[in-house]
Amino acid sequence: MNRKTLYTLTSSQKMMIFVLSMSLYGLSNMFTELIPEFRLGPIELSVEYFAFIPLTLCMLFHPLYAAVGAALGEVIFGELMLGQFGGLGELEKFLTFSFAMYVAGRMVRNPQNRLQVGTAAITGVIIHQLCSSLVDIGKVWIGVEEFEAVPGLAQSVVIVEGVGFLNDVLFSGILFALLPTLYLVPRLYGKIEPLLGIKPRDKSTKYEAAGVISPKLVLSGIALALIAFGAESLSETDWNFGEWDSGLADRLGSGAIWLSIAAAAVVAIIVLLILRAKRTRSIQTGDESENLPYA
Amino acid sequence: MQLVRNWFNKISLDRIQLELMNTAYGSGYASLSRLDPRGLLIWYLFFAIVPWFLNSYIVLAGMCLFVIITTVLSRVTPFIILVLCLGLIGQVGWLFIISLFFGGDISSALPLLKLTLKLSIVSLASITVFSGMDPEKISDGLLALGVPAAFSFSLSYGYRILPVLFEEFRNVLLSYRLRGKAPERHGVLYWRLGAYYLKLLVYAFFPLMLATAKRSRTTVEALETRGFSYGMNNPAAKKLKLSHLKLQRRDVLFLGGSALYVALLFWTSATLN
Repeated sequence: MNRKTLYTLTSSQKMMIFVLSMSLYGLSNMFTELIPEFRLGPIELSVEYFAFIPLTLCMLFHPLYAAVGAALGEVIFGELMLGQFGGLGELEKFLTFSFAMYVAGRMVRNPQNRLQVGTAAITGVIIHQLCSSLVDIGKVWIGVEEFEAVPGLAQSVVIVEGVGFLNDVLFSGILFALLPTLYLVPRLYGKIEPLLGIKPRDKSTKYEAAGVISPKLVLSGIALALIAFGAESLSETDWNFGEWDSGLADRLGSGAIWLSIAAAAVVAIIVLLILRAKRTRSIQTGDESENLPYA
Repeated sequence: MQLVRNWFNKISLDRIQLELMNTAYGSGYASLSRLDPRGLLIWYLFFAIVPWFLNSYIVLAGMCLFVIITTVLSRVTPFIILVLCLGLIGQVGWLFIISLFFGGDISSALPLLKLTLKLSIVSLASITVFSGMDPEKISDGLLALGVPAAFSFSLSYGYRILPVLFEEFRNVLLSYRLRGKAPERHGVLYWRLGAYYLKLLVYAFFPLMLATAKRSRTTVEALETRGFSYGMNNPAAKKLKLSHLKLQRRDVLFLGGSALYVALLFWTSATLN
């Protein structure tokens, strides 16, 4: 049994991967935002994204930093600079995208094995598109409160999202994720790593799993899942929300509205106080996060 | 097809570059951009979250009107507004048409109008804040609100590196075009030409990846020379960097005025019901 070499990176190398992935994918995102889409009714043949860039980088380098960098690049170049920043909606995109790319990167053990690379590329696209379709359906659910009451809306949302999913996987997924990744990964392997001062990974390379699956990550994952679940159950009870609100207004008159505004103000003040307390605490404890990677 | 030809004529790389530069750097003189970024970010958070949980048309319309005014105040380029409108129509218009197909009628337009209102409030608020403000300021504001340093650094880095990257990409693309051969016939709907350009676009990323790898190494080396990772983990250094952020009277006026206006909206809708 051969000894497995641990794939460790210095924090500068992590930052390099992060910056590389961010600027490249960001630039490509700018183009894909501007390429006109070809529409046949609701079916659109659009270049959704150049997924091959983050996929390639995730397979060649440490997937976590490449994935997070690419997701951030999309937010900065494709959204903020073009002025289409959707705010918190981008958070969901950010999470699903980096998760999908990370999984695709981890699936590849040997970058020179074309079968592995191809499978991982298409799996990454499918994971991402599936997640984002589900989130989109949920979004309309929350946004339109008489969702069930509007005839045909439920079906139409599912149809639009389903067609979008198929289009993205079959058209963008094959043309702009699978084929270019198969072309680029073997060509870049062994060439791009030395430019960052990193040894190319081979079959025996193992990621520092302990560093990646830290208790902090597990905890935040659970917290995120809880938030997602909360949003989901909120969407279930959404139409009761309005009734409950008007009932309160009936009983208390317009005072109810002041009550809720006051509640909002109290929440805001509490949040500010917590932030303040946290800041002073972090100043007191000093540089406890010294050895954390900042990517 | 005339439309496609128009698209190809309009989308020259020069033009895109110009528009992007306009968007990214054209701000800074707008009246809103003088406000404190922390206050504006909190303001934005309110307008990005709250509309999703509202049902009253009056409140939503009032909020929409308000963010339209702030968007005008932040002097956004028309290009962005156009992109936004197209996006909204695309997102909601098809839903309406398909729900007609499944037996809906004009009454299904009303809930969809509400959805459009919500979407436009959120996007206009983000345009106000993020394209009206100097990238440096946004990045400082984010840093002050506790976002990791790598993220806020990437934001200002992105704005700075964009012209360089763009120039480099253009050169690579032009050299590919010089060496390659465009299809002789453009085919139905210009699909041959489109496919050719898309293929070039993908190929061009191969040399670009190598060049960017070199550049990112240089960047990180320069950063480390200036003590980036040490400074950003050191609260004293961070405090010094952010010491220029101050809440002034106009920030208080802006935030207070917004809060008052929103409260008024809630009150109006409550009394009318």
